[in-house]
Amino acid sequence: MEKIGLFLGCNIPLKAPDIEQSIRKVFPALGVEIVDLVGASCCPAWGTAPSFDIDTWLALSIRNIVLAEEQGVDLMTGCNSCFGVLSEAKHLVDHHPEKRKVVEQKLALIEKQYKGTAQVYHVMHVLYKEIGLDRIAEKVKYTLKQLRVAVQTGCHLLWPSEVMQVKEQNPFYPTMLKELCEALGADAPHYSKLESCCGMGAMRSTDQEKSLSLAKEKLLCMKEEIDPDMIVTTCSSCYLQFDGAQKIFRDRGEIDFSIPVFYYTQLLALCMGFDPSEVAALSQTPREEIISRIQSKARMVKED
Amino acid sequence: MNVINVTSKNRQEAIEKIIALGGEGIVRCIQCGACASVCPLARTGFTLNCKKLIRLIQTGHWEEMIEDPSTWACVACNRCTEVCPRDVKPSEIIFAYRRFQAMELAISTSATMSQMNLYMKGHAVFSEAAQLRQKVGLPPLPPTTLSDEKALKEVQTLLENSPMAELGLF
Repeated sequence: MEKIGLFLGCNIPLKAPDIEQSIRKVFPALGVEIVDLVGASCCPAWGTAPSFDIDTWLALSIRNIVLAEEQGVDLMTGCNSCFGVLSEAKHLVDHHPEKRKVVEQKLALIEKQYKGTAQVYHVMHVLYKEIGLDRIAEKVKYTLKQLRVAVQTGCHLLWPSEVMQVKEQNPFYPTMLKELCEALGADAPHYSKLESCCGMGAMRSTDQEKSLSLAKEKLLCMKEEIDPDMIVTTCSSCYLQFDGAQKIFRDRGEIDFSIPVFYYTQLLALCMGFDPSEVAALSQTPREEIISRIQSKARMVKED
Repeated sequence: MNVINVTSKNRQEAIEKIIALGGEGIVRCIQCGACASVCPLARTGFTLNCKKLIRLIQTGHWEEMIEDPSTWACVACNRCTEVCPRDVKPSEIIFAYRRFQAMELAISTSATMSQMNLYMKGHAVFSEAAQLRQKVGLPPLPPTTLSDEKALKEVQTLLENSPMAELGLF
């Protein structure tokens, strides 16, 4: 895979653009060129077209996939919700000829054609499967040796496994993100709520307290069982939830600790020596201290 | 006396409606509860979860739950669909019921805003981000519908030619 189309979604470019920047930095450095899917829209989010009308959802999702097809590339997204919505849409259309027909008719309205040639991947899949742990380990300039991370893969990267191109052996005990963190030198021990939901997304907008209760349960579990130096996730929604919710819990006096949160490519970019003011600059839970610990002389394993 | 009288005709109708909205697996559900055992809605105590919603529909209740926001809290995690031993795809039934609620406008204010954003901007989640983006060295606008009028028009055309257009949300 020489190049891949980057599908941005909404949260990453508009709420956490340092994640976007980290993706744009690490992939070319690892030998995969990023192609913009110019004119892409929202995936569309679960709470929009998929909650109103299946055919409208499919047409909007497939339009986004067609933008990759037109450039002869596969599609990659860093947002788990986008990944879920697009993967499920493609699976539905590719397995139901009657749905495909409806979508083709809708796309004709905007002079687009669906061929079905582009695959849908998540950033984690491309890193794990296409680039591989060895190539990632080779590029590490600052090692995470003796740092402990709590990994958080995120729901839409795990289920339903039926619709995914790259699958975990057991989605209830995911290992890809753990191995990706270990490739940077970190310890990524198991904790009992490893696969549980952070509560973000629709639950957060419907009932904030119930949503926060899931985030808190999981945070306390991480803290008590493995006391991590940081939380590392491959889901932009989990990122926003753990980063933002910790501030709420601290302000309310409900927790007395603070665990920095990173999206995986942010951590990878830091280990590769990229500038933190570009790749890990925006957060509510402070990260400065751990970032300066990571990018320190003592951790340097490779000169420029 | 206020009694809901459910007949076999009610049951048949409710099942036909959920199937038409994308929940065909409902006919296979035997209420084993595997879905609820892994459901974040069940874990956090929402009034409805996949198993309960399915049972209510199977027993002919259709309109009674229309104002219940539980379905809108479903994060679409699909744990239920993964573990279901009968291939019911419970998450699709939650979404099918949501489609009934949505087309009757039984939705929250925040959900209303998302539809407007999707139509006006091409992004359901929208906030001004030019400053944040420039701070980290990116162009002020991402290369999406936000910086491409023709692309936004395409998204609007698809939405205008959809049953969603009849709801007056955008």
